[in-house]
Amino acid sequence: MITLKNVIKKYGGKEVLKDLSVDFPDGKTTVILGPSGSGKSTLLRSLDLLVRPESGTLDFGDIKLNYAEPVSKKLSFDIRKKTSMVFQNWNLFPNLTVLQNITTAPMTVLKKSKQETEERARQLLGQVGLAEYADRYPSQLSGGQQQRISICRALAMDPEYVLLDEPTSALDPELETQVLLILEELSKMGQSMIIVTHNMEFARSVADKIVFVENGDILFDGTPDDFFNHPTTRIKDFLSGITFDDSKTLK
Amino acid sequence: MWHIIITSLPEMISAMLQYTIPLAIISFIFGLILAVLTALIKFIQPSENKLIKYPWLALRAVANFYVWVFRSTPLLVQLFIIFFGLPSAGVQLSPFIAAVIGFSMNTGAYASETIRSALLSVPQDQWDAAFTLNFTTKQTLMKIVLPQAIRIALPPLSNSFISLVKDTSLASSITILEMFQVSQQITAKNYQPLLMYTLAAFLYAVVCTLLTFLQHYLERRTSKYVKGSEA
Repeated sequence: MITLKNVIKKYGGKEVLKDLSVDFPDGKTTVILGPSGSGKSTLLRSLDLLVRPESGTLDFGDIKLNYAEPVSKKLSFDIRKKTSMVFQNWNLFPNLTVLQNITTAPMTVLKKSKQETEERARQLLGQVGLAEYADRYPSQLSGGQQQRISICRALAMDPEYVLLDEPTSALDPELETQVLLILEELSKMGQSMIIVTHNMEFARSVADKIVFVENGDILFDGTPDDFFNHPTTRIKDFLSGITFDDSKTLK
Repeated sequence: MWHIIITSLPEMISAMLQYTIPLAIISFIFGLILAVLTALIKFIQPSENKLIKYPWLALRAVANFYVWVFRSTPLLVQLFIIFFGLPSAGVQLSPFIAAVIGFSMNTGAYASETIRSALLSVPQDQWDAAFTLNFTTKQTLMKIVLPQAIRIALPPLSNSFISLVKDTSLASSITILEMFQVSQQITAKNYQPLLMYTLAAFLYAVVCTLLTFLQHYLERRTSKYVKGSEA
């Protein structure tokens, strides 16, 4: 379980995370929803220390971190070892082949053998249907294929949690589906995941837990059933605001 | 005319092989090393640890001063200070060493900015991805950022090298018998300045053209991962 308590993050004096507390259960898929600029990505990136909040605590099993204090290299290493991030624009390394994208970190960071790592990488590539692309470069593949590879890259580090920051926002609907199917599969296998997304259908079908963030506050923290079937007024507005309906007019 | 060309060419080519090309290559190698070090000193943010931070900032001030000095003064003046000026301060250098120092420092100052901008052109996204995989700064630089930066820096660095080859003609002013100096000496004997200096220009052009081919070859090799480059 990951527990965040009283997390405050400011950008230039503006609070983007306002004294926020939340937990992310083990073996479950937590989906973070909310409008753009609400602080969703900042929240997710705080878990991996890509963003450093000003204060608050992170409790991650045997690891405790106080954001207000300097973070040692060891502590940052231990936290990042337990997590792996998948980015909106996948951020594959363009100078490495698909296989090297997946194997470089386990070999360099975890000191695993080349043979073991490559076997695992090929197995992961097989699972996402890209076994024959191992020796290509990322630029030769579609966005959906690249995102599937970046999921393999994250999984190859054997993280406890996979963090996904709008993994399908840069993809067209067809490619998006390919990626979502893989995430659904992972979710069913009990992989702990935290996903920031704008795709409500996907949220509804994979989430074990929904966190709704707006203006740096958590407005909802509960089950998908409550979120979608018994929404508060604000959530109702949010859900109807993102559904296309030609009877609506611009406010 | 052909007679003059045929009799002077061996002397000029030999001066080129003996001085012009070695000067350019040696100075470029040292210049590149200086450039990478200078660029990294300016590029890498020191950790908050005071024992690292303050020496690093001091080092950065030195790097800034070095780049400023060598970019704000003419190369010829730099060579004169190193070769004719330093002996008054008790530092006596052979012409060749003086030239290598001058050319290396000058090239290093310019190329450091080329390399720094190439490092900056690799997106922050790449660092984020590397950090989430637990790469250290050094591993990220070596495996991810530098290989991408080299590709970007290659064309402007080739410019620097080609400029350097031609700038070695300035070494004639600090008594080095490089190719241009030799052409001047031959001209003094045969009174054919148009022919001799055109011949010198032609030889520089030959070398620089070969370097352009080398540049294109290296660009192809370092760009094999870029879309559309497999053709």
